[in-house]
Amino acid sequence: MTKDSSLTPHPIEEIRAQGDLYRPASSVLELRHVTCAYGTDRPAVHAVSFAAREGEILCLLGPSGCGKTTILRAIAGLEPVQSGQIFLSGELVSSSDMLVATEYRHVGMVFQEYALFPHLRVQDNIAFGLRKLPRRQRKARVQEMLQLVGLEGFDRRYPHELSGGQQQRVALARALVQHPVVLLLDEPFSNLDPDMASRMRQELHDLLRRTKTTTILVTHDHDEAFAMADRIAVLNQGTVEQFDTPEVIYHLPATPFVADFVGQADFIPGTVSNGMVHTELGEFSNTLECEDGTAVVVMIRPDDIHLVPTKDASSRVISRQFHGSENLYAVSLPSGQVVHSSQGSTSVYEEGTAVELRVLASHSVLFRQSNVPS
Amino acid sequence: MITIRQQLSSPLQLMALASAGLILLPLGYVTGLALSADPAVWSRLWATRIPELFFNTVTLAASVAVITLVLGVSTAWVVTRFEFPGRRFWEGSLVLPLAMPTYVLAYVYSYLLGFGGPIEHFWQFVAGPQARLFSPHGYLGATIVMALDTFPFVYLLTRSALLNLNVSFEEVSRASGVSRFWTLWRVTLPLMRPSIVAGLALVILYVVSDFGAVSLLRYQTLTYAVFQQMTGRSDNSAASILSLLLVGLALLFLVAERWFRHRSRFYQTTGRYRLPQRHQCGLMGTGFATGYLGLILGSAFVIPAYLLVNWSFSTEAQATLDSRFMGFVSNSALLAACAATGGVLIGLPLAYLASRRPTWLNLGCLQAAYAGYVLPGPAVALAVLVLSTKLMHVLYGSVLILIVAYVIHFLPAGLQSLEPALQQVTPNLEEVSRTLGLGVQETWRRVTLPLVRNGFIVAWVLMFLQTMKELPATLLLRPVGFDTLAIRVWLEASEEYYQLAAPPALLIVFLSLPALLLLVSKDWRAA
Repeated sequence: MTKDSSLTPHPIEEIRAQGDLYRPASSVLELRHVTCAYGTDRPAVHAVSFAAREGEILCLLGPSGCGKTTILRAIAGLEPVQSGQIFLSGELVSSSDMLVATEYRHVGMVFQEYALFPHLRVQDNIAFGLRKLPRRQRKARVQEMLQLVGLEGFDRRYPHELSGGQQQRVALARALVQHPVVLLLDEPFSNLDPDMASRMRQELHDLLRRTKTTTILVTHDHDEAFAMADRIAVLNQGTVEQFDTPEVIYHLPATPFVADFVGQADFIPGTVSNGMVHTELGEFSNTLECEDGTAVVVMIRPDDIHLVPTKDASSRVISRQFHGSENLYAVSLPSGQVVHSSQGSTSVYEEGTAVELRVLASHSVLFRQSNVPS
Repeated sequence: MITIRQQLSSPLQLMALASAGLILLPLGYVTGLALSADPAVWSRLWATRIPELFFNTVTLAASVAVITLVLGVSTAWVVTRFEFPGRRFWEGSLVLPLAMPTYVLAYVYSYLLGFGGPIEHFWQFVAGPQARLFSPHGYLGATIVMALDTFPFVYLLTRSALLNLNVSFEEVSRASGVSRFWTLWRVTLPLMRPSIVAGLALVILYVVSDFGAVSLLRYQTLTYAVFQQMTGRSDNSAASILSLLLVGLALLFLVAERWFRHRSRFYQTTGRYRLPQRHQCGLMGTGFATGYLGLILGSAFVIPAYLLVNWSFSTEAQATLDSRFMGFVSNSALLAACAATGGVLIGLPLAYLASRRPTWLNLGCLQAAYAGYVLPGPAVALAVLVLSTKLMHVLYGSVLILIVAYVIHFLPAGLQSLEPALQQVTPNLEEVSRTLGLGVQETWRRVTLPLVRNGFIVAWVLMFLQTMKELPATLLLRPVGFDTLAIRVWLEASEEYYQLAAPPALLIVFLSLPALLLLVSKDWRAA
């Protein structure tokens, strides 16, 4: 029994008229200024807004405790909202004074640990929500789903007889068989080993594309988000820091937090004079258009710095990490500032090598000094 | 936000509150009775009975604790760290003594050690015809009987601690150059200490609240004195004072046990777990281990069971197996079935609310239900008795009052399997069912209930079998002439009609075996 059971469930039909009053732009799911703050055991969420288009894969990315799972549970109706509204297919389902019960929302959910019913076989798990269909149709749908997720012949197994990846596919099939309005995935790959996770990631991506399923995926892994998502909402301490495509998030992060969270980043201090930003690594264009004399920082990714060994250069390589496809170097500048550079797998420089840095700054990202995390 | 008002509105909540009230009311009433008793009664008891009773109870508990410590830890060590023919047999059968209610073992031993008994005959054969043994009636007899009956508690907990122990700790110790003996002393034993202490606390709680053995062996403890005050003197206020002291003593041990169990969580390590290396025994070692375990199991279970079977087939005993005997069986079964069903029905809302909505109110209700744990049988009987004579006179002397007492007494045993059963069902399973379009009630019917069903059955069986064995509350509260199997054993044994007491005793032992099986399998699941 969940918390919302104390509130009266509203079937979708009953609130259709009410929903018309606030009909949003045509999106499958929309959150407007949603705030949740219930209990001390769950992270709070403040004024979160975003919308998902039909068939889109949308990713909520953030560190643990940022409230991303709370948002997922609020969409499913497992968590009430304190203020703001949630719309599903254009109908209001959650607000401060009403809550459509989970079972009327037509959302599919895959929990982190899959939550397969341990007392039911694979086929009964998948058919769990199909009890209104006649027997034969139910069977056909189960077979169809098993084929879709590549588990033909597993229908009579019990969950404990399956591997982690297979369990996840069953959980996915169980959610998809309902033709959900939106599919909610809570850290779906965190219980799989890395090899399995990357294979499942690819499979899941293809599957969601094929079925044109609108999906909200929660993760703390930026690689996962980049690989899966059409758009990413980066969350920090219960608020959305940036909502954009993966490319924009990576190359043009809106805040230093986002810059730091989605990949390795160095922040080089500089000052503005004559419309340019002057730093130890050279000049950058003043995209912030701030006044002369303002203290700013330039964010640079390791792949934007190229190293050239030069005898009389003043920067030194201080460490190298071999990552297989690349070498990640830490380089100490004359001022003591350390920056990182990623070089090809075969470019091996000893520690202490004097190097010159070439910055390939087709786009530079500036932040005001005061915003930078220390 | 869920407010108190909303919580109260749910019928489940009302049931939980009512159940907690049902349990706390008699307890509170007895406490009130004791505290409001005439100071003269207090000072009379203080001057005459209390110091002696306290001394007797504590010395019995302490000496039983020491013996069970030695027996329990050594047997657990032998079956987990050595490999010899028959090891698995001993590993399983060492829990068998728990199937003997203390009054059964006590009566067998009052025959074995008694005047003119087989052991005295043997002793006179060795030491001459004038040699005398100590009498089983008193401190020594009670200690032996209670120790033999309760050492499996320590055995079970130590054994599972040894099996769960991360062997890496010992290997690290050996790798740092510490000898086998010092590794045992400095690494293994400290790691097992919480489990051993938890086992000892169970033993002590059991000894302190035992009535069967001490009454048959006529050893004056607090529990026995409560019973005597109620029957001999009909002095309920004196009985309530003694009960209060007894509950205080039991509570002390219970708190100690909880504390150690809580601490043991820090000791448990996660990570890879391997079976410990078992030391292969030679011929000598095998003989030694078999002899040692055989001696313990023989005196705690095999010999008593053999005597019971023998006596049951004597002509005197066969003559009692008539329709009257069947009446005792059906009385026992009826009471036990009612108590077990009542216990499950009352325990369910308590356990469910505490695991799904752990508010202070719900957790408090659950804790109240565990109060029966520290209430020895005579104290429960007293509590229910005084309350029914004051408030519900109709109940007095009926079977119903007996069932209420059983439910209060054995609800903790049932809750201990209801609670984990519910906790194993993660709320995620219920939530996923809601996302698949099922309502609250249907989710309960199709997900929660099938998953907790086994826990329910175990709880029911455990409460049923505990009630079958129960003695003091039944003695005090039964309607006139309403005898059960346990009552027959006690009555016949008190008169030293060993043969006549055997058939009902054997039946009780036999019926206790399934409960034991459940207990052990639960232990193995935890291991």
